[in-house]
Amino acid sequence: MSPTLSLFYFLSFLTVLSALMVVFARSPIHSVLYLILTFFCLSGHYILLNAQFLAAVNIIVYAGAIMVLFLFVIMFLNMKKEDEESKTNLTKVAAVIVAGTLGVILVGAFRKSQVGTYNPYAHDSQVGMVESLGHMLFREYLLPFELISILFLVAMTGAIMLGKREVGERHF
Amino acid sequence: MYPIVLLSVLGIVVLFLGFMKSKSVLLPATLLFLVLALASNFIDWNQGKVLYFYEMLAVNNLTLAFNAIVLVSAFMIVAMTRGFQDQEEAQPAEYYGIMLFSLVGAFMIIGYEHLIMLFVGIEILSVSMYILTGSDKSNLRSNEAALKYFLMGAFATGIMLFGIALLYGATGSFNLTDIQSYVSIQGRGVSYILYAGLLLLLIGMLFKVSAAPFHFWTPDVYDGAPTIFTTFMSTIVKTAGFAAIFRLLSHSFTPIYSFWWITLAAITVLTLLVGNIIAVYQNSFKRMLAYSSISHAGYLLIAVTSLSPQTENAILFYSLAYSIATISAFGVLMLVSKKKALEGQVDESYAAFNGLAAQNPLLAFVLAVSMLSLAGIPLTAGFWGKFFVFGSAVERGLVWMLVVAVLMSAVGIYYYFRAIIAAYLKEGDIGKIRIAPFYRIILVVATAMTILFGLAPGIFEKLL
Amino acid sequence: MMQQTPPIPEIIQAIPLQSYLILSTALFVIGIIGVLTRRNAIVIFMSIELMLNAANLLLIAFSSYKSDASGQVFVFFIMAVAAAEVAVGLAIIVMIYRNTRTIDVGFLNKLKW
Repeated sequence: MSPTLSLFYFLSFLTVLSALMVVFARSPIHSVLYLILTFFCLSGHYILLNAQFLAAVNIIVYAGAIMVLFLFVIMFLNMKKEDEESKTNLTKVAAVIVAGTLGVILVGAFRKSQVGTYNPYAHDSQVGMVESLGHMLFREYLLPFELISILFLVAMTGAIMLGKREVGERHF
Repeated sequence: MYPIVLLSVLGIVVLFLGFMKSKSVLLPATLLFLVLALASNFIDWNQGKVLYFYEMLAVNNLTLAFNAIVLVSAFMIVAMTRGFQDQEEAQPAEYYGIMLFSLVGAFMIIGYEHLIMLFVGIEILSVSMYILTGSDKSNLRSNEAALKYFLMGAFATGIMLFGIALLYGATGSFNLTDIQSYVSIQGRGVSYILYAGLLLLLIGMLFKVSAAPFHFWTPDVYDGAPTIFTTFMSTIVKTAGFAAIFRLLSHSFTPIYSFWWITLAAITVLTLLVGNIIAVYQNSFKRMLAYSSISHAGYLLIAVTSLSPQTENAILFYSLAYSIATISAFGVLMLVSKKKALEGQVDESYAAFNGLAAQNPLLAFVLAVSMLSLAGIPLTAGFWGKFFVFGSAVERGLVWMLVVAVLMSAVGIYYYFRAIIAAYLKEGDIGKIRIAPFYRIILVVATAMTILFGLAPGIFEKLL
Repeated sequence: MMQQTPPIPEIIQAIPLQSYLILSTALFVIGIIGVLTRRNAIVIFMSIELMLNAANLLLIAFSSYKSDASGQVFVFFIMAVAAAEVAVGLAIIVMIYRNTRTIDVGFLNKLKW
């Protein structure tokens, strides 16, 4: 087995394992840490797929910003206790069955269909580089790119509005 | 396209107006901006289909008409917000700004030509709604509603995205026209990945318009949110959401109609049953309206499922009739429950309307007309809405679905009439309710429109 | 001429696209299980992030195999949207914690979960 291939299998195994740990870890802090591990594994996959730029962005935005925000809130709220009462076993089993069925259906659909593969003659391995992405982002995708700033504006206004301490409220 | 650009800029202007000492300028300014956006909307009228920004956004008369409905509803709702200024903690500039921005999202999903516009638009719309739902910060029910809406909404977004990714994998493009040409070339032989992607995408979108079995968040969220924003959610989000679903299915997936119609038909019937039957058991008027909004999603789904040439008009007319009636019903509820709240009891049940007609004949009349319209009684706009929707189903030959729908409309009459009976026949001690002049105008205009479209639905078709 | 074009990444030649489909489906399903079984709002939210990342992986895999950049640009947008969503979501959670001192969704029984 070539090194790339074994790397793929190792990363995939680690991704799935850490994703499972996110869901099943008792403490939210452990969940966050496993989620960060998952993101790093995914970045590894992106590099394997020659999407270097997104691999970097994934680390910076997800593991860097989003996860720190998560950790910050968990620490802020002082949620170290594992006082979460779990749902009944019936709901859990039902949930697993529902999700499992969905997964089986999807995998079945993939198996039965021609997903196609790369075209060895017209393949351009440089699509994941900053240059090609930048061209596309600032030409074809200009309108959504501008409009996503509206989303950020809404999120900023909203987060401040909701998170702000009102007069007379306690500081946590 | 113009209203998108205009409202993006004017929303920022509203946020800045919030810095001014006097808060009283905010409401007139917001209303003025909405009128401006409505005027700019019609610059593109009758230009045929125009694509803007590298085929990101499509504009034709249908999308413009949907935009207009959304803008008119927004105008009425914003006009009813008199009193934000009175509350000490309220931040009116933020509310108005977020409302204007959310309209940008609505326009995006009404006229999207590229799936990224759908995604970003839905996100703008939903994130605004999460915030507005939770805006009553000290009220625990509002908080819980916001959290629940947020978690369920984000979950739906995740499902939707996976669907979009699968569609991209199958067709190699996000562009609706490219997807359409792929589907029509392949015909029935399209890969299963496309089917899976379409289903997941549809589930995500049906979640947002609260069709059963993806409706379970709706009653709680509609109930917990401040009533003014419940109105916003149940009219604007629903209209835009249905425009988006209709656009996706009619534009790209007509060649595989035989695949998706059964699924959609099952969801339609389930939505009709769930919405109408559970609504019967509600004691809270606000919760009843939440279930009623589910049942109306069912009627709109009938039109989408039948997908006949009439469907466009049916959905347009239905959403207009539904929006106006819902706005006036919530408008009356807000006045009555505010009065009750001043007297020290929060009451949003049917009993709150007891004896309304004695001292407030106008409010009782507005309530009655809106209930009649929602129930689909002749001489109201709601009747013709249902008539057109059922007509498109007949054209497609979906008679069995029609039977369910008619039965469920009959069930609907029961719970809508409870409010009318409470207002006119029950004894109660509601004093005279003061109505601000502008508020009164909005209520009267909405009622007049309901009756006008009920008497002469042709006016609407002439406009198109 | 042939030597000047960069080579096709080894992984694309060696691994069928199906494997990536299955991997991302696995992540997606794990995310759904998390949303449905956990009660802690923050953990539910993290499971949703897992689902979004499954979609990201799928888009990037398709995009790389088809050598079409638009899939990767879409991922860019998903990341931006996820960041905005997180900000709002955590603000809501903080707001609730202020009022109730708990973020277990079980307390939502007032609204009948």
